[in-house]
Amino acid sequence: MLTPGTRVNRLLRFGGLGVALAALLITGVVAVGALVAGGYDPGVALGALVRGAVGSPEQFFSVTLVRSVPLILTGLAVALAFRAGVWNIGAEGQLYAGAMAGVWIGLAAGDLPGWIVVPLVLVVASTAGAVWALVPTLMRLRLGVGEVITTILMNFVAIHLVGYMVHGPLQESRGVFPQTDALAAAARLPALIPGTRLHVGFAVAVLLGVALWLVLRGTVFGFRLRAVGQSPAAARITGRIDGKRVILVTFLASGALAGLAGAMEVSGRTFALYEGLSPGWGYTAIAVALLAGLHPMGVVAVGIMFGALEGGAGAMQREAGIPAAWVSGIEALVILAVLAAGQGRKWLVQTRLERGRPAEASVG
Amino acid sequence: MAVASEPVDFVRRVARLGLWLAFLSSACQPPGEDAGAPFQVALLTSGPVSDAGWYAGAYEGLQMIADSFGAHISHQQTRTPAEFDEAFFAYASSGYDLIFAHGFEYQDAAIRAGAEFPETTIIVSAGGRVAHNVIPLIFQLEEGSYLAGIAAGSLTKTGVIGMVGGVAIPPAEGTFDAFEAGAKSVRPDVEVLVTWIGSWNDVTAAKEAAVALLRRDVDILIHNTDAASFGVFQAVREARGDGRDVWAMGMNRDQNDVAPELILGSAVIRIPEGFVEITRLWYDGDLPGEAYYAGSKASLVDYVVNPARVAEYTPELLALLEETRTGIREGTVDIPRIQFVSDEEANR
Amino acid sequence: MTDSGAESASPPSVELEAIRKRFGPVVALDGVDLEAFSGEVHALVGENGAGKTTLMGVLSGVVRADEGVIRIAGRPVRLAKPRDAWAAGIGMVHQHLTLVPTLTVLENVALGVRSAAWGLRLPFDQVRSRLDALSNETGLSVDPDVVVERLSVGERQRVEILKVLYRDPRVLVLDEPTSVLAPQEVEEFFSVLRGLASEGRTVLLILHKIDEILAVADRVTVLRGGRVVHSGVSDTMDSGSLARLMIGRAVAAHEPPRPSEPGAELVRLEGVSARGSKGEMALRDVHLTVRRGEIVGVAGVDGNGQRELALILAGAESPEFGTVHLPDTVGFIPADRLGEALVPDFDLTQNVALALTEAPRYRQGALLRWGRLRSATARLMDLHGVGAPTPAVRAWQLSGGNQQKLVVGRELMRSQNLLIARNPTRGLDVAAGRFVKDELRRMSRSSAGEEGEDPPGVVVISSDLDEVLELSDRIFVLRRGRLLAVPEDRRTREFVGALMVAHAGDPSE
Repeated sequence: MLTPGTRVNRLLRFGGLGVALAALLITGVVAVGALVAGGYDPGVALGALVRGAVGSPEQFFSVTLVRSVPLILTGLAVALAFRAGVWNIGAEGQLYAGAMAGVWIGLAAGDLPGWIVVPLVLVVASTAGAVWALVPTLMRLRLGVGEVITTILMNFVAIHLVGYMVHGPLQESRGVFPQTDALAAAARLPALIPGTRLHVGFAVAVLLGVALWLVLRGTVFGFRLRAVGQSPAAARITGRIDGKRVILVTFLASGALAGLAGAMEVSGRTFALYEGLSPGWGYTAIAVALLAGLHPMGVVAVGIMFGALEGGAGAMQREAGIPAAWVSGIEALVILAVLAAGQGRKWLVQTRLERGRPAEASVG
Repeated sequence: MAVASEPVDFVRRVARLGLWLAFLSSACQPPGEDAGAPFQVALLTSGPVSDAGWYAGAYEGLQMIADSFGAHISHQQTRTPAEFDEAFFAYASSGYDLIFAHGFEYQDAAIRAGAEFPETTIIVSAGGRVAHNVIPLIFQLEEGSYLAGIAAGSLTKTGVIGMVGGVAIPPAEGTFDAFEAGAKSVRPDVEVLVTWIGSWNDVTAAKEAAVALLRRDVDILIHNTDAASFGVFQAVREARGDGRDVWAMGMNRDQNDVAPELILGSAVIRIPEGFVEITRLWYDGDLPGEAYYAGSKASLVDYVVNPARVAEYTPELLALLEETRTGIREGTVDIPRIQFVSDEEANR
Repeated sequence: MTDSGAESASPPSVELEAIRKRFGPVVALDGVDLEAFSGEVHALVGENGAGKTTLMGVLSGVVRADEGVIRIAGRPVRLAKPRDAWAAGIGMVHQHLTLVPTLTVLENVALGVRSAAWGLRLPFDQVRSRLDALSNETGLSVDPDVVVERLSVGERQRVEILKVLYRDPRVLVLDEPTSVLAPQEVEEFFSVLRGLASEGRTVLLILHKIDEILAVADRVTVLRGGRVVHSGVSDTMDSGSLARLMIGRAVAAHEPPRPSEPGAELVRLEGVSARGSKGEMALRDVHLTVRRGEIVGVAGVDGNGQRELALILAGAESPEFGTVHLPDTVGFIPADRLGEALVPDFDLTQNVALALTEAPRYRQGALLRWGRLRSATARLMDLHGVGAPTPAVRAWQLSGGNQQKLVVGRELMRSQNLLIARNPTRGLDVAAGRFVKDELRRMSRSSAGEEGEDPPGVVVISSDLDEVLELSDRIFVLRRGRLLAVPEDRRTREFVGALMVAHAGDPSE
């Protein structure tokens, strides 16, 4: 028996996947249209896209999954924060803070054995990300300043601080190029699958996704976090929940996840800090988190999907000669399609809501 | 947002989607190597090749290589250092013979890729690390800017000349050191003012810096930026509109026709010709396992007098410029240079 | 079915014939016939979930009927969307008010006006003169230049009605309009409704309270389980027969209040003053004690410090001045169901869990025991008759009455020393309201429960005067932030009602 109530629930529950598929479909149609209009062969281009993403185990592990790591981690950071009603738009800055701190400790402690240095890099980078989130957290909790604006401003501070660091205190020892020295082998993340570039960061990201899912689902803290995010007044008045404490913990955890993403990049991929390390993962993360319906396991899945899309985008440039601007445009279309599909889902639910209310009166 | 209580289902569905994609991909075969082409050449840039400057020159070079050698070419714009390894691997593993990585930022990844793919040759523009198959391509722009300095030192009336720089990295600083040395070689008491704006493309910042310098009595302004140079030219144009007798000079590419009424000349690097030259050496097996310096000798660097403003130059000055150019080629004129190339394999 | 034939000279202004509506497998309306004539006040009554709201939805174009015919003044119409209802001359006054609080009355009314020049300028002058005329005509007086957020709830409702009347509907539909009004305001409101009817309009309204139905309605249609079980002139009914029609059986007379035997002191407020959400002084120098085993009633119109007093008693907020002594476990039934009591997008189990995260029975270290929470929720739904197919539906999907049952039941589940209840029976039908009242009394009289402790104390803060009079051992009135004690010998509707509304129309303080 399907009552209207469960029908709406099912809609809400599977809405996330429906949105993802709808977004893919819309994007596919628009992308093909754009390619044809630009005079490119869509078959060749999309073939390259698919091959670049999942065309071989090598592509899948070394490209798609490697690219998904920062997207999953920042996506988890955003999803966790949004779940608690914390609008952390600052994953980008927190990522850079983690990258800076991770490189610094990795260079300073590079002589120690790997089983000490690597965890040290990850812990210090997470801490730095949390510290970077601490400023907006305190401004919200103590001064009531909205975190949307403060986290964005902290992004700018972090980006410029990276610029200063690679021209100044952290610049390579020869003092020529604006980058740090390369991390010693001990400070680099070990490979997850030997012979590929896939590093253990991917396993860490997936495990964190599972852990967050379990925390949100089963624990008292996770439940309180969701209550605070859904309805701060009901959480405070009925749930007797200390909302400020929940926000503090969540915000810092979100910053730590984003900081960890920065460490994974410098310690797992680039082995040095550069300006422009991130192409905006902290912002793409918002799309990842929303497309995943803020569900941690959804974030893992969507992060891999976005990793595939970006990996495939590189192949589109190389094999099909599509200019980077077109490829970026197609990626932007995906995000737009996500937003449109998300709005469509909201509309769908609202329509059901309006039609559902009187029905529920009769159900009762 | 709703809590999906069946996320396992969700993951399973996404995984199924992945399988479909994998199936699709196996259906379309990768393009075979271009059988007709003698070899394959790739270019990596970290900026758009539509910039009418540094990256555009590289892309033009790539196309000239296709035209002159019949090579199969490909280009990828990378957005982040994290993509470098992936791009090198993708090109090297699909059989590309020569990869131009157009910027110092590629040097570490190039060394890693070079070690993994000894058969592939990687050229790193303005790079600082050398391996047997990883070759820095150094454009000696300081030679052109030394000549520009001679012209500026001779033509200034106030005795103050200025420079607006993008990002203060050694290759850029080197061009300004040479400019200053050139100016002082003809007028030892000349005053030289420098401002770095911290960006290659920020037109507004460049214009503000130029206006400030012009206010301090500068009457000839040179720059070393990319798109930001338009800000410098605009500041000079407005000062000339106010009746001041001030001039600008171009850098990197021949900008004489950008604003013929106010540009005295340009210190240029000929990136496309440099790429073709490198490819020729590689093709003939003559490419040495060390940094390649592209300078006046091969006419890859020069100072180009603006034909529309040649009247500003005295015949004596034109003669001096020609004489110095020859001197640089023959090694008789000493100009300041920065040495930043190290041998990675030797260091290991 | 209809036992009044006198009006048959002109066709009914509203005529519904065999209206059916299904939501999935659930039949909400099962062949409903209804006739309402111009010049009459027609009450639509029934228990929670009888189909009243769905029927109103059909009339206002929000819900599309599956079968059946709707005739307005004898002509069949299709009501597929709200605009169709407007075009047919049906005006709907919503239960939840739809005014913009930061705009003036005039601006709010003008917003609802369609104008050829919209986008450039709203026709304020025209709206003002018409609004004045409407006010004079109906007796619904309100200052057009006051910002809505400064108005009392009753005044806002007047604005809401004026906004609808502005379009001159022939049929006026109102959903539970009296739930936000004080007793004296209800009287006044009913005379306005009768005035509107006497001008030839049809007034259709949903009502819950039997005495109100008998006071205002010319005719009554009783719905039960999606069918009309009775439709007739109200003069032929009394409260007993009407209640029987609504529930389908006789309502047990409630047990007379046993005299309380107050025990130890639980609550002591001394000189408590607190600010409201806009920084105004919402509570002034309040003194109050509550003992075990007694029910203290605080009557008053919402917005006179009710929220602040409740939150302080519940331990959720601290006062600006004064001292507060509270017992360690306090249960709380907030007034704002979907804002403060429930998380709308949580399912029912999660909403029950919200109040129980500290309870050791439902925890295992840092984890919640969802199995136990689910069965506890199922028991609660069963005990209190919460109408929902499964505990997995979201709180927002429940009707208001069912939400209230869940909130009240949840608090009754917990063992506590003190229970603060705001409007505990608002939105409940007669039987459910009776159940809640009995539970509250039983709780306060029992030598409480399993642990054999002394009974808890209960504070009922309510705008429903009858509820307060019926339940309370001691009665106070909270008006403009001051708590006034009602002497034992003056516990009458008239006296307490007068205390509640004196100067209540002056919100400026």
